[in-house]
Amino acid sequence: MPANYKVSYVVRGEDHPGAIVNTDQRPLVGDRIILGEREFTVLEVIDLIPPRGDFHYLHVTIQQAED
Amino acid sequence: MDLLSVLRNAELFEGVTPYELDALTKICQQKTYSAGDVITAQGDIGDELFVICDGFVEVLRSDSPSDPSPKAIVNLGQGQIFGEMALVDRGPRSATVRAISKETIVQVIRRDDFEELCEKNHHLGYIVMRNIAADLSFKLRHQHLTSQ
Repeated sequence: MPANYKVSYVVRGEDHPGAIVNTDQRPLVGDRIILGEREFTVLEVIDLIPPRGDFHYLHVTIQQAED
Repeated sequence: MDLLSVLRNAELFEGVTPYELDALTKICQQKTYSAGDVITAQGDIGDELFVICDGFVEVLRSDSPSDPSPKAIVNLGQGQIFGEMALVDRGPRSATVRAISKETIVQVIRRDDFEELCEKNHHLGYIVMRNIAADLSFKLRHQHLTSQ
């Protein structure tokens, strides 16, 4: 079974509540991701807690993407 | 995506057997919301747990009933659950949850149906309750990270 990544996204530089989302691909630094209607750039990816079963738990810092 | 695939990718059901997952699909009811729809309101009595299949919701909390501007505390996307606190402790809803995507699709599980299933199958009950605890823990960690 493919891995599942449960990601805690924290937005740098603004008062934003962040987001928790599951994805089937590990985010990488420099990736562009869309949360809701907005696009962000990934700045940092850290394993937050040890994996359990097929699930990996990540803390990802992002910031508003520049055009 | 079919219902089984959706539930298989939700952490809530990580560790349940295919047979148990099949039993869970029988107590799920799909609902669709538009952007701006309030799915649960803080303070209301509720007996449903929600699994997000597609879209995004915003979780908002007010400091008091007269607070005119509730604060967004987290956005939740695919695979996440909400409504689990009222399911477990039977208290009023701790937050308002509002759909923010054009279309948000959720699976709804009623407390009575869920508890009946857990009573019949203690393995299923243990796994799902453990996963609810892990999810609450992850949400707490997320809140700590966003408040740094």
